[in-house]
Amino acid sequence: MSTEAIPAEKPKRNYNALFGLTLLALLVLLWVILSLSTSSFASANNISNLLRQGSMIAILAVGQTFVIITGGIDLSVGAVVGFATVIAAMLINAGIPVFLAILMTLLVGVAIGLFHGFGIVKMGLPPFIITLATLTSLRGIGLLMTNGNSISINNDAFQEFSRNSFLGVPNLFWMVILVGIPAYIFLHHSRWGRYLFSVGSNAEASRLSGVNVQRTIYMAYTLSGLCAAFVGVLLASRIGIGNPTQAEGWELQAIASSVIGGTSLFGAVGSVHGPLLGAFILATINNGANLLNVNAFWQRIITGALIIIIVYFDGLRRRGSK
Amino acid sequence: MTSTAQDLHPAPVLEPGRTILELRGLEKRYPGTHALKPVNLAFKSGEIHAIVGENGAGKSTLIKLLTGVMPRTSGEVIWEGQPAALATPHEAMALGINAVHQEVVLCRHLTVAANMFLGEENSRFGILQQRAMVKEAQKIIDDLGFDLPAHVTLGDLTIGQQQLIAAARATVRGTKFLIFDEPTAYLTRKEADQLFTLIRRLKGEGVTIIYISHRMEEVFELADRVSVLRDGTLVGTRNIAETNDAELVKMMINRSIEQIYHKEHFTPGAAILESRNLSGKGFENVSMTVRAGEIVGLYGLIGAGRSEFVTTLYGRHRKSAGQILWEGKPVQINSEHDAIKLGMALAPESRRDQGLCLNLSVGLNLNLPIYKRISNNLLISNAQERTQADRQIADLRIKTPTRSALASSLSGGNQQKIVIGKWLAHGARLFIFDEPTVGVDVGTKAEIYRLFSVLLSKGAGIILISSYLPEVYELADTLHVFRRGKLVATHGFRTADHEEILTQALAEKQEKLGEQI
Repeated sequence: MSTEAIPAEKPKRNYNALFGLTLLALLVLLWVILSLSTSSFASANNISNLLRQGSMIAILAVGQTFVIITGGIDLSVGAVVGFATVIAAMLINAGIPVFLAILMTLLVGVAIGLFHGFGIVKMGLPPFIITLATLTSLRGIGLLMTNGNSISINNDAFQEFSRNSFLGVPNLFWMVILVGIPAYIFLHHSRWGRYLFSVGSNAEASRLSGVNVQRTIYMAYTLSGLCAAFVGVLLASRIGIGNPTQAEGWELQAIASSVIGGTSLFGAVGSVHGPLLGAFILATINNGANLLNVNAFWQRIITGALIIIIVYFDGLRRRGSK
Repeated sequence: MTSTAQDLHPAPVLEPGRTILELRGLEKRYPGTHALKPVNLAFKSGEIHAIVGENGAGKSTLIKLLTGVMPRTSGEVIWEGQPAALATPHEAMALGINAVHQEVVLCRHLTVAANMFLGEENSRFGILQQRAMVKEAQKIIDDLGFDLPAHVTLGDLTIGQQQLIAAARATVRGTKFLIFDEPTAYLTRKEADQLFTLIRRLKGEGVTIIYISHRMEEVFELADRVSVLRDGTLVGTRNIAETNDAELVKMMINRSIEQIYHKEHFTPGAAILESRNLSGKGFENVSMTVRAGEIVGLYGLIGAGRSEFVTTLYGRHRKSAGQILWEGKPVQINSEHDAIKLGMALAPESRRDQGLCLNLSVGLNLNLPIYKRISNNLLISNAQERTQADRQIADLRIKTPTRSALASSLSGGNQQKIVIGKWLAHGARLFIFDEPTVGVDVGTKAEIYRLFSVLLSKGAGIILISSYLPEVYELADTLHVFRRGKLVATHGFRTADHEEILTQALAEKQEKLGEQI
């Protein structure tokens, strides 16, 4: 090394982990406050309920985060969830084995994601537009398929899955772990994860470095579609029906969770643990507000304010540590 | 507010030679760095005062203090005999201090006229007087001798033309003190000439010009006086007539000019790349060979076909005829991916846009082309990722606190090193450098040239594209001259003189000769 002085500023070491700890602290703080101020929050029943509430948004947020890291956005995930409940319900009612029905539903999610990739890469459409278009049309297709009716699923085993627990933890939360661990390895320890970041940071530089940018974009949207279809299966199991108008607005909750979890909408910044924590922070606020008898309308306002505050402080820290 | 062209120009000619701005012990400290050590300097009205120095020498700090972008730590600024706080950009502008930056900071989607009057629009009862503004703007532009239309969208002009508009804009606001920060970095020679005419004319009107540039020839062409900064210290101020290139460079880097163009000769090895009668978009019938251990320089004006030729080699454009041989075997290069796989590396002209992922870590940038190699089917080897990055950082002496620092926090020269480092890691054998030292200071230039030697010693070949003749002249073992898409001449190391090469590059335009060098 040269003898010249190295710039004095300290690099931010493991910024992601640090921010994750702050979020975790916030979540724990919320739990402590709610446990002390309400009698029912700390009950096993309520905690299981909370975990169930947060799980589905958490899984959506992970897929969403992959897309946002590439600098895109996936507005379709709520509609994909609703559509997937219909597909799953129809397949199961048609007597197809549950395992196969789930697999086929997931493939539908993959197909939708590939279509998004096609629209962005080959047709040159902005991600906002192509996913907005599928958002409305998927709901329409679902309504056509069901004639506007809900389809009751006549398979008890399928429905019981989401109500049951394993080792005292709701199955739905186990699904978060099932998605979260591979997602973490994928994003932070595989080259594909690195490519997501590099494409989000500078697609041209990545292309010139031999990164297959198109494939990376296809991959991000496919994973988001896959996560959404998976959540659709879980939702169908939980409510026992297939209905294309379900999961209205979930895409916004997923984006909010992702952003609260430290993902930058400009791309190239994000993690897997952040959105997971973000989703459970949102779920805790909603749950706590219910227990405290806060007006449901206020819950929405609080959520909005929280997004502003967290993202503002995150931005301050980033600027400060530059 | 209604205004006419007359009152937009600084009407009364300022008295030349009077001290307009004086710095007394001006100083700036950041936490951990002393960016500007106490500076005493007086600027006279109607002078062109060049400021030179390496990146990080304190030039931009000085500009930021003068334009009120940042507050000073201590010292005084005396403006026309009165102490000035210069606490906000607004205050600086109100006094008549303006700056034209290297990158155009205007609205690309608005018209030229709208940009000229941005913030001071001409309106009647709240309705914009668009036609009047276009007319006025056109008059100003015509007055300045720029051949540009005022009604077109700014983004439709070239970067150089936009830069001229930015300069024109700065002149219409009662400016008495105008700072140019590397204004010619993206200009063609013709545009630069127009800009110089404008600068001289402003000088004639008594405006003080601060001219910051890495290009010595411009400093000598324009300036009356020149001040040199090094490591935040004002090393000295000279009258331009009493100094020379060598002295200034020595003051800037404490090193002589011969040490900059560090040229080591290696015995050329086997041919790495050969182009046989290659034609494509923008060039035709080009034949050349690049051997291991040699630098092949491509010289010519912008648009002469050099860049088109190499991007075709690199697989971005299809060739229309001819053959490319790699290590003696004919190859088809249909995409950049193919080129990379063979072992070619392109360090693009625009580092920021094409070379780096700025908001990601140095380590990730260095490893980007080799992730396939340092991971198995699924996982990246963390140990290899670390050691690979650290090796390049040490080998190339990349100045960074750690491998996890963001690429954007590094200086321009060090960013260039990352671009080179990632290809070294990849094991590339042929490096294409497209204008590698644009906007880079002398010290970093010297370092980049040293890197060339390192690459050559490792058995690589280099194609060096440059519009700056001394660079290719002093470095290239073989120098090819391009003109209008054709390879018109080939020289060995220093076998032709500057004039001959320029004549070949320009052909008919003999009269421009002296200025081009």
